[in-house]
Amino acid sequence: MGETEVPSMPSMTRWRRVYYLIPVVALVIPFFANEYLLWVVNAILVYTLVTVGFNLIIGNLGQLAFVSTAFFGIGSYTTAILMVYFGIPYVLAILASAVVGGIAGFLTSVTALRGIRLYYLAIITLAFGELMRWVYLHGDKVTDGSDGLLLPAASFFWIPLDSEAPKFYVFLLLTVIVVKATSNLMRSKIGRAIVAIRENESATASLGIHTARYIVLAFVWSGSVVGVAGAMFAVLTERVLPEAFGLTEVIIHFGMVLVGGTGSIVGSVLGAIALTSLPEYFRQFPGMDELFFGVVIVLILLFLPKGLVSLLHRISPVFQERYYRD
Amino acid sequence: MYYVLQLTLSGLAQGAIYGLIALSMTVVYRATTVVNFGHGDFVMAGAFMVYVLVIYAGLPYVPAAVLAVVILFFLGMGISRGFIDPIKTGPHIGFAMMSISLGYVLRGGARTLWGREVFPMPRVYDIDPIFIGELVVTGDVLFISAIVAVLLAVFFLIFYRTTIGIVIQAVYQSERGATLIGVNVQAFHQSMWGVGLAMGAIGGILIAPISLLHPDLGATFLIRGFAAMTLGGFGSLRGAVVGGLLLGVAEQNLGFYVNTALIDITAYLVIVAVLVIRPTGLFGKAVTVRV
Amino acid sequence: MDPLLKVQGVSVNFSGLKALANVTFDAHAGEVRAVIGPNGAGKTTLFNAISGYVESTEGAIYFKGTPIHGLAPHEIAIKGVRRTFQNGGLFPELTALENVLAGLHMHIDGSFLGIVMGLGEAREAEREGIARARRLLDLMDLGAIADQPVKDLSGGQQRMVEIVRTLATEPPLLLLDEPVVGLAPPMRDRMMEIIRRLAGEEGIGIMLIEHVIDLVMSGSDVIVVLSSGEVIAEGTPDEIRQNREVLEAYLGHA
Repeated sequence: MGETEVPSMPSMTRWRRVYYLIPVVALVIPFFANEYLLWVVNAILVYTLVTVGFNLIIGNLGQLAFVSTAFFGIGSYTTAILMVYFGIPYVLAILASAVVGGIAGFLTSVTALRGIRLYYLAIITLAFGELMRWVYLHGDKVTDGSDGLLLPAASFFWIPLDSEAPKFYVFLLLTVIVVKATSNLMRSKIGRAIVAIRENESATASLGIHTARYIVLAFVWSGSVVGVAGAMFAVLTERVLPEAFGLTEVIIHFGMVLVGGTGSIVGSVLGAIALTSLPEYFRQFPGMDELFFGVVIVLILLFLPKGLVSLLHRISPVFQERYYRD
Repeated sequence: MYYVLQLTLSGLAQGAIYGLIALSMTVVYRATTVVNFGHGDFVMAGAFMVYVLVIYAGLPYVPAAVLAVVILFFLGMGISRGFIDPIKTGPHIGFAMMSISLGYVLRGGARTLWGREVFPMPRVYDIDPIFIGELVVTGDVLFISAIVAVLLAVFFLIFYRTTIGIVIQAVYQSERGATLIGVNVQAFHQSMWGVGLAMGAIGGILIAPISLLHPDLGATFLIRGFAAMTLGGFGSLRGAVVGGLLLGVAEQNLGFYVNTALIDITAYLVIVAVLVIRPTGLFGKAVTVRV
Repeated sequence: MDPLLKVQGVSVNFSGLKALANVTFDAHAGEVRAVIGPNGAGKTTLFNAISGYVESTEGAIYFKGTPIHGLAPHEIAIKGVRRTFQNGGLFPELTALENVLAGLHMHIDGSFLGIVMGLGEAREAEREGIARARRLLDLMDLGAIADQPVKDLSGGQQRMVEIVRTLATEPPLLLLDEPVVGLAPPMRDRMMEIIRRLAGEEGIGIMLIEHVIDLVMSGSDVIVVLSSGEVIAEGTPDEIRQNREVLEAYLGHA
């Protein structure tokens, strides 16, 4: 499809400023929503970060590494354990989850570096997630196993997080910071290097780009982002359970990435918004969530492979995300 | 020493099924370069189908088994035509995504229908065990080994000795060349998917009587099939069978001598070990791409 | 003048198959050196060995006096050896501009922290990079398509973008693998013109693999002829034209 007119640079940047309006407008949500609705909105924020982090690996780096539940669980349990056993304040716990998530990302990247790709990477990362779940289940002296670890009352600095509204503002702040940082990361030489690896790894090396370094970076960043999401999830649900990080969840996260649009940050947000309320609804009937998400992904792959964000792109090329910043 | 032999015997029977499943995955992989991540769930579906036909439709075991295999054959063709072909032009990662999702659809469907129950498959044959010295060869081991042996013999006979088999080998090696000599590659893909799923279904049907049916069975089949393929050398038909047998034997022995928990994770250990020690597996070909 | 590249006795074995056998030659700055030979002669393998994508089983390779054999491809690229790929090394989903920016990777400063936090220096460096990339594209008359994904461009435009990207890296030594394949004759001449200019005016050392003999004869300073992994001749176009062994190698193959 040839466009006779490509939007000029300055107008694109101006249009992108619209994105800043969204969190500003969102500030008033707690005044109009009840506790339940706010809980859903908070869940959307959590899953936004999960999807953004996961999408970085699946969409931008182009590796089929099912890391989401592993990082998510590690982030949640890190926060929970630090708060329960060490009385660490939530703010520091969030940072810790980011760091530990990053370490998990680093370890995972080692497999990708050893040339393990595609099917092996998928299986090994799924196995790693299941291994972590086994650890949560059987490490019950620490994790309280299948009963789940109950979180103490949390505060963000001086703000007690005892209802959904204060949680919302904290989560909104974290989400905006992390999404913006990820956007900065992708719209730079770093983002270009990561996507270049996906497009043509050999050619990337020929440009003097140390591919291994960027693969590790992508995994570490993803681990940190999803780790922060895990920290948020712990406070959202107030009890951290092993089941929240199993094979069923993986397909839900995967579904959000695909529905929203692989490789797109805006897409990740869309996917999270579109699908977050659903897992809770389907939780009532065992198997329905797997069935639903499986069907959704199949339909997306057949009919809208670039996700919801591609609909936005059709409206105007201005929404196209690029890998540079002018 | 006696125990090792006994364990190895039952391990070979289990391994025969793993080999069958790995072989069916390899058939599809060689034909279409797609590793069917949902394969385990299709195998599970085959086993469930027999259960449904026997219990709810009252069919005797053998016709039910045959019917299930036939259904799965056509299901395989349908999957290839309806879900794999349309996304041919996209990135290769799309195939993995599609097959995983299809697997989840089956798994979710099974779980929705049957919930958290676990089903024992009714006994459908009663064969007396035979005794070789002090070794007990149970009816199950006999039955499974016999069926799988016959199946493999038929398969390899067709593959290496008939015209059809030669055509299949040709398309495996060069699809472009095959198109040039008039082979309908699309029909080929569909048939191979059908064959692959049908063979996998046989594996599921054989294992159903000696294990319990539940929706998560698929995941265990997948990981074992994958481990067998990795051990034998990804893409090698012989390797898949040999890998499966070795895996079955390893599971039984490790499970007895070290820890029963190891039975579940032997497959993962095998994958890691092979990737670290000799990534090409036993019969695989080395591919060197250096970046 | 010291040679830019020294290839000494390089052999490459692929499980028994000798792809390259005892290849020795030098390449110089400002020179256009063509590598020709029948299919399977080992030309691309030679480029792969020099740029680090394939390990040479024997021999040594020196760039500006330092050994580069055994180094990883990106390390060799950083030292100054750049290349294009036979099957096109562009990044299809990225725009022409982004492709060229990828070429400028080594020249855009910006710390990790600066990038992530959006600090002034990093943003300034990025803006400079973008300006530079657009200038380079304009020089090759590609300014109009700068913001189009490369997969939507014509074959000729893609080739040109790849050249621009490689030039953005400011290469002392450039290995071009079949730069004119798939281009119409007028574009081919243009490409050879550009190649000659890069060598003559910019002083870049250029090696190219090419099958179109007239272009090779008219465009290169030195020709190296490979056959079955061995160098069977090396000389000026005139010398090669009259070389008996070369004629045999070409005519002897169907």
